[in-house]
Amino acid sequence: MFHIKQEKPSWQSGIAKNITFIVTKDCQLACKYCYLVGKNEKERMSWDVAKKAIDYILDNEQDFREESVIWDFIGGEPFLEIELIDKICDYLKMEMFRRNHHWFNSYRFSFSTNGINYHTDKVQDFIKKNREHISIGITIDGTEKKHDLNRIWKGDGPEHGSYKDVVKNIPLWLEQFPGAGTKVTISSADIPYIKESVLHLFNLGINEIHINCVFEDVWKEGDDALFEDQLMQLADTIIDNDLYKENTCSFYTENMGKPMDCVLDNGNWCGSGKMLAIDAVGNFYPCTRFAQYSLRDKKAWIIGNIHDGIDKNKLRPFLTLDRCTQSTQECIDCEVASGCAWCQGENYDTADTPTIYQRSTAICKMHKAHVRANNYYWNKLFRKLELEGKREEFEQNKKSVNPEIC
Amino acid sequence: MLQYLIIHLDDTSVSYCHYDNYKKERNLISLDDLKAGILFAMKENLMIQMVYPDYQLPKEYEATIETIDHVKIKSISQSINANVVVIDSWNDLESLKADKEIAYVLRTDKASFFECYSRLLPILNEVSRLNVVIKNIETFTDDDFAKYKTILGEIASKVKDCYENNHAVQLNLLTDRMMLDKMNNCNAGWESITLAPDGRFYVCPAFYLAGENEDFGIGKAKFSVGDLQTGLDIKNPQLYRLDHAPLCRKCDAYQCRRCVWLNRKTTYEVNTPSHEQCVVAHIERNASRDLLASIRTIGTFLPDKEIKEIDYLDPFDVKEEY
Repeated sequence: MFHIKQEKPSWQSGIAKNITFIVTKDCQLACKYCYLVGKNEKERMSWDVAKKAIDYILDNEQDFREESVIWDFIGGEPFLEIELIDKICDYLKMEMFRRNHHWFNSYRFSFSTNGINYHTDKVQDFIKKNREHISIGITIDGTEKKHDLNRIWKGDGPEHGSYKDVVKNIPLWLEQFPGAGTKVTISSADIPYIKESVLHLFNLGINEIHINCVFEDVWKEGDDALFEDQLMQLADTIIDNDLYKENTCSFYTENMGKPMDCVLDNGNWCGSGKMLAIDAVGNFYPCTRFAQYSLRDKKAWIIGNIHDGIDKNKLRPFLTLDRCTQSTQECIDCEVASGCAWCQGENYDTADTPTIYQRSTAICKMHKAHVRANNYYWNKLFRKLELEGKREEFEQNKKSVNPEIC
Repeated sequence: MLQYLIIHLDDTSVSYCHYDNYKKERNLISLDDLKAGILFAMKENLMIQMVYPDYQLPKEYEATIETIDHVKIKSISQSINANVVVIDSWNDLESLKADKEIAYVLRTDKASFFECYSRLLPILNEVSRLNVVIKNIETFTDDDFAKYKTILGEIASKVKDCYENNHAVQLNLLTDRMMLDKMNNCNAGWESITLAPDGRFYVCPAFYLAGENEDFGIGKAKFSVGDLQTGLDIKNPQLYRLDHAPLCRKCDAYQCRRCVWLNRKTTYEVNTPSHEQCVVAHIERNASRDLLASIRTIGTFLPDKEIKEIDYLDPFDVKEEY
């Protein structure tokens, strides 16, 4: 049967509560595009804080009614704290069972890692112990050149890229998690390497590439044209070589770049506020992006702590936020609005006042370039499918698209 | 659209709203700034509200103030020629010799209101309008909501008696909603702006009176929005407008104060009210609905007004249907 690979929906998409433990603010790397401006080696979560957070969350089951839960672990680099994570996960499993909590048997442990410690005994033992309930994403940015452009080791002295330290663990990761995808981040300096990087990742056996431009205002004059050109070159290669049959790249999404309605299409893009993040001192945040180490110019948006619980009033702005109320008139009227993403934390950090209701438009010209290249991709692919007599079959078999929010 | 300029004449000027003014040291606006403020209001076509301190102003100030049409907001101890008189004590309320030309504001905390509300009832016969401002709305608990509902019911009986005796008293908590067809909120930052003794503009006096280092969690509580030299400079002005308040723009608790100061304090966002502010406003709304029905048992009353029955007290709880 004719086949175009489509992105796998994320686990329990839309019905899972995402609870993030910021277990450490330390990382072996010092990626140049990293939004975590306050990384340090001191702020490591203690077992006492983690346990109190878990007890609070499980004690208040009525406030966490989502059908499922994703217990997310981030850093810095989360696997630097694998012993703590192991203890947390053991306690979570035991407590969810002991309490007959509705999340028992509907949970995942999720990790975004730089992949450097992936092969170590401690991480591997943890994976084996929790195999059925784990998802792990290893970040690899593409070719060695592209990866090492940004993802460099921390420390003084000459820059030292991390590609070789990560790529060696990719086969093991793909063996343990077949079909796993990776997340690629694009900043200004990376643009010339997009095409070769995506193709390189396909060659490594990573068939799902989630790729996006950083939301920060880093874009230079001409970046949009260069970006568009890279995406069109990549589109040519993917289509001409039938790579779309076995691979997906989130750059190419059929239903993007359309006008949006302020009544029918008014949902917030970002999931902040529906998530919960906990840091080393036991403060709660609507998302990790509102913790102080993620913010350049604004103060942390704390919504409570493990001792006093969540102040629900501090969540109300997040849970009532809609697309049009935070958008400029230009964004509301934009004819290619759909698929234009934003990060609530970045919006907050760049806003003229301490508000989440002012949408940053730093990504505007990149989105428009993206839309043009995306249109090119689909027009080219559809024409090819028509000429091959496969277009109708594609339309019949395609899955409905459910864009993944952050 | 801006309609009002509030001139906070002195650091010790009386509070007529939710915020407290703890300043004890006099700091009168300069005469030049007062004149410039008046000129600004004239050119922008704004109605001026002068908020007075608790002492007699110098003659040149009084003369300057009288050069323009305005409303005088004064504390009860300095109430001569006032249009609005602020009462901060229940004893002062009880001894009030009411003037029907004056609107009175009673500022009270929740506990005192619950304890002393019956002392309010005789006054309703004497005044044309009384605004009750409960200062610490953010402290209301579920028990307090229940108490508040019961108390408003008792006060409503008295208001009905007044209407039956042909005294159409206005009590903000109960009668405003009966008369309104649309939101009628504070609208600081949108329809009104405050000129403070430092010559700067603020969203409302509360944003001026906050301590220099006071912080509600995400930034300084005190911030100005322009000055007399450079004019108004309100960042994100749309957030003070009703159409940019997702919870409020479809709400029909029209009498709600929708206090941006309390919003900022409790939810961090000027456009988002707290649970407590919403529930209190809806208890008042529902009490107004009952009062409207009750007054109609006497005779025809506001026949074109209708307050529909609703099954929620916080619009946040039904936001999906909004």
